[in-house]
Amino acid sequence: MSGNVVEDLIHELTKLPGIGRKSAQRLAFFIMGMPDSEALPIAEAIVKLKEKARFCRQCFNITEDEVCSICRDPGRSRDRVCVVEEPSNLIVIENTKIYKGLYHVLLGALSPIDGITPDRLKINELVERVKQGSMSEVIIATNPNTKGETTAQYISQILKPLGVRVSRIAYGLPIGGDIEFADEVTLAKSIEGRNEM
Amino acid sequence: MLTRTEGIVLNSRKYGDADLIVTYLTSDKGILNAFAKSPRKTKSRFGSSLEPLTHARLSLWGKEQSLPRITQSDIIEPFHRIRENYHDIVHVSMLIEMLIALLPAGIPNSRLFTFLLNILHTVQTGEEGSKEALHLITRIRLLATIGYAPRLKGCGRCGKESLDFYPDSGTTLCSRCVTGPGSAGKPFMRLSNRAIHFYMHSIEWPIHISNRLKPATETIRELSALLDRHLTFLLSRKLHTSKFPVGVK
Repeated sequence: MSGNVVEDLIHELTKLPGIGRKSAQRLAFFIMGMPDSEALPIAEAIVKLKEKARFCRQCFNITEDEVCSICRDPGRSRDRVCVVEEPSNLIVIENTKIYKGLYHVLLGALSPIDGITPDRLKINELVERVKQGSMSEVIIATNPNTKGETTAQYISQILKPLGVRVSRIAYGLPIGGDIEFADEVTLAKSIEGRNEM
Repeated sequence: MLTRTEGIVLNSRKYGDADLIVTYLTSDKGILNAFAKSPRKTKSRFGSSLEPLTHARLSLWGKEQSLPRITQSDIIEPFHRIRENYHDIVHVSMLIEMLIALLPAGIPNSRLFTFLLNILHTVQTGEEGSKEALHLITRIRLLATIGYAPRLKGCGRCGKESLDFYPDSGTTLCSRCVTGPGSAGKPFMRLSNRAIHFYMHSIEWPIHISNRLKPATETIRELSALLDRHLTFLLSRKLHTSKFPVGVK
């Protein structure tokens, strides 16, 4: 702490991802110019988050309670679970409003080269859920990159002997893009996973 | 300064919101780190060209010493079939970790570049049944190519025949040469003649015909343990990838 309140805030803001000193400076002066009624709730929200947020006992989503609102929701289908790497991925899938099943957050992805082994993720907990529950399908929605793919492969191999259907979200082209700018691997995958019209 | 080169992506790490720092083995600049702006966004122009193992044609902007920026990356061969096979990616990750840990950055080695490409082609097209031997051979060959292979052809000091491998000497030593102050109780591994023969063939045979070598499971286990101990001594730590489950329980 420098003792200068503005300097302190700038220093703290630079700890956020993607925020350099210049952006931190801009944000600090913006916050200073905001009315108290708008600026203070930001600080309060951060304090509340750090005090109350924890991982759901069942799916490891972020929640204030022991079990998150999705796991508690009686309206959701309990025979399907969607596996994601991070809670932020869950939010994006929820925004689609198309999926009405449960989730399981792994809190990371396998990476042999970085020493991220299965015991460092919530994979054993997923296996236990599948063993205990009445699940008919596990949808693996890990990122479509090497770490996500390795994780998907591992989970699939571990779950298939349990007699549950394991599916992977589709690969393909982003909507609004042009085919001519797509790379060969993405395009090949989208041709392999084509749908009948 | 704009430079163009060919590279194989060895690894990448997240930087900031959507950026990456990518580690390449290049054909003319050795191991090189470069910065890519926003490749993790869905509509990034980089597509999958920065995924590990991709062989690509690159354009870099900036000085090599101060993290150049990738301005263009065109895929030559994606090697995505390796990434989609759990066992292959775990084994190839071990090779990559060995390369990054043992090879200093910025030293050109075109022979190693061609060799790694050959390994990736061989692993991608290899038959599923013979992969275990192939993975072992590639580890041995890679160590030999970068000059860190253990010496198993006779005693490393006098050349006399010996089956006892001493990890802290990186070679087999005969009973006469191993005696002396401080040598009592030195850890060693007794190897079988079969393992030594297989090891020598692995180094000498061209990689594309190495599938003709059919080692026994015991030989694979013996030499894998030897390489693990050798590498642990060289690096003063275990490889991260060696802790990774190869088979799923």
